[in-house]
Amino acid sequence: MHKENQIKGFTGASKYVLDEELARIVNISMALEMPLLLKGEPGTGKTMLAHAIAEAFGMKLIVLNVKSSMKLIDALYQYDTLTRLNDSRFGDSKRDVSNIEEYIRMGKIGQAFVSDARVVLLIDEIDKADTDFQDDMLDVLDQMEFDIIEIDKTIKAKHRPVIIITSNAKKDLSDPFLGRCNFHHIAFPEPDMMRRIVHVHFPEIDKELLDSTVKTFYRLREIRGIEKKPATRELINWIRALKADPDFRVKDLIKGEVPFLGVLFKKSPDYVVAQNAVARFRV
Amino acid sequence: MFVDFFFLLKKAGIPVSPTSFLRLQKALSMGLINSLDDFYTGARAILVKSEKYFDLYDQVFAHQFKGTEFKEPEEFELSEIARALLDEWLKDPKALAEALGVDEKDLLKLSPEELLKYFMDRLKEQTEAHHGGSKWIGTGGTSPVGHSGYHPGGMRVGGVSRNKSAVKVAMERRYRDYSQEGPMTPSQLGEALKRLRNMVPFGPKDKVNIDKTIYETMRNAGEIEIIFDRSLKDRLKVILAIDNGGWSMEPYIELVQTLFNYARAQFKDLKTFYFHNTIYDYLWEDPPRRSKPFPVDELVRLDPETRFIIVGDASMAPYELMATDGSIYIGERSGKPSFERLKFIAKTFPHTVWINPKLAEEWPYTRSIHHIQEIFPMFELTLDGLEKAVTTMMRKN
Repeated sequence: MHKENQIKGFTGASKYVLDEELARIVNISMALEMPLLLKGEPGTGKTMLAHAIAEAFGMKLIVLNVKSSMKLIDALYQYDTLTRLNDSRFGDSKRDVSNIEEYIRMGKIGQAFVSDARVVLLIDEIDKADTDFQDDMLDVLDQMEFDIIEIDKTIKAKHRPVIIITSNAKKDLSDPFLGRCNFHHIAFPEPDMMRRIVHVHFPEIDKELLDSTVKTFYRLREIRGIEKKPATRELINWIRALKADPDFRVKDLIKGEVPFLGVLFKKSPDYVVAQNAVARFRV
Repeated sequence: MFVDFFFLLKKAGIPVSPTSFLRLQKALSMGLINSLDDFYTGARAILVKSEKYFDLYDQVFAHQFKGTEFKEPEEFELSEIARALLDEWLKDPKALAEALGVDEKDLLKLSPEELLKYFMDRLKEQTEAHHGGSKWIGTGGTSPVGHSGYHPGGMRVGGVSRNKSAVKVAMERRYRDYSQEGPMTPSQLGEALKRLRNMVPFGPKDKVNIDKTIYETMRNAGEIEIIFDRSLKDRLKVILAIDNGGWSMEPYIELVQTLFNYARAQFKDLKTFYFHNTIYDYLWEDPPRRSKPFPVDELVRLDPETRFIIVGDASMAPYELMATDGSIYIGERSGKPSFERLKFIAKTFPHTVWINPKLAEEWPYTRSIHHIQEIFPMFELTLDGLEKAVTTMMRKN
């Protein structure tokens, strides 16, 4: 699998169904060594793509989950002053207290830079952080180096990591940021695509169940007034729940009954809306 | 190579940068792009940085490589707007018949296509006769809807490109819905309001203050003394006052609801008040404005750091604002004009903004808007306006 991928470029992974368009974009981004920015509804597989690339190329995956309070330096490195203070007081560790470098811990971006092999760096939900963070981070990723002020040392990337950035927001990121990334928007999969995705997760699923679940799923997505529409993840969990229930018959779905609605709708107002709508399915 | 294509994209209004164009050349020279399909996706990933331009890109691409007619932006806009208008009018055939000057019965005989064509012809005629461009629709006054904020066609789901040529995919215009005029969604609002935060120390002391720890340790002759602080939490207080009365707010109800729903989910400390047209002696805590009055004088007891957001179209008869007994409700007769009341609010809460669902270009035509603008900074209820409002509210002093 790994070898084959290296020759032909990225073609998918064992649990990830890839559409051709996205495959081309991934390959171009990797060849140009540019970060790839992915946008799209939750549940369209933005995060999974990074996992799939890592699996397909046998690379290590480093995930940086962006938080709103995060500063760039947290992603780069951390100077562990407290441990040093403690060591200097008690002196019972093997670390050399006068050597600050021993108290520098690499953050996620730092780890990706010092890694001996090329890694996949996933920067998840970049839109959570403020604009300054985003721009500063892109500088670091552009230069492929950063300074550790405490020990006056520059960390250079040994190998340019494959960088995947995801964003949920519909709002645009800043222009300089966009200028340095390739961009793709993943649309929600169509029923045919969804069938293939489900098939990858449940290879032995029978056709009747597959068709009726997917059909019901898209019908449920169309209910008006839902705040968080069920996504791929919910569908897969739902099918898992249906398969686990010994009393479940596929005919129920066709009749318009939808068991385990709670797996699909996780917000209570949504759940109520969906319940009412489902009641109307049974005509 | 493909310089024409680049300039056509730019002309169509997609912000493409020369750097990204050079990067596309690099991709071409590296042999990464071997077919038109590759070029379609590759060029899009490299040049176009937002899904809202995907639709425009599709149109330009189809034009450049297949020779499909690329409509000049004006004309394209016009037909989109026309369709939106028509959709709206079809709900009320009488108004449509009147506007087009035909008998309502004749109108019903036409098929939708015929109708649209007829409508477009009429529209063009009108355009030429009047002051040109799409202005006629915007300011003509006959249209029951404003064109922004409404997008025809609903949501389309993008497809898989398998077995289709790039041009065909491009011609499908899958990304139409992401074009800029789409309606404002809660997540977009969330983005705009996200910066409205007020971080103050709150909660258990669970964060080490390194500077103080070192200092205290030194004072303690090297005996470690760890100092904890409270961590910063968002404790922003928000008051949302919504104009929910009168027909003039009717068209904006959905928009305001979206704003309200988001605000309720986002801010832990949120008070909502309702009023009609403008504020007199009372705000109301219940939407029908009947059972739970809240005296405006009581507002002084609240934290002046509260961000006070007023949502309303600020459109009313001037006397409602200026006269001492301006209220259209008999019960509110305190002798203070609303104008003074608003000034009082602005003084009590330095961080106050007025958000107006009307577009800013319509403001100069209403006198009461002008007066209220003297008291509060006013912003449109659009993403852009919200962002500006948030910036204003977060300003210190």
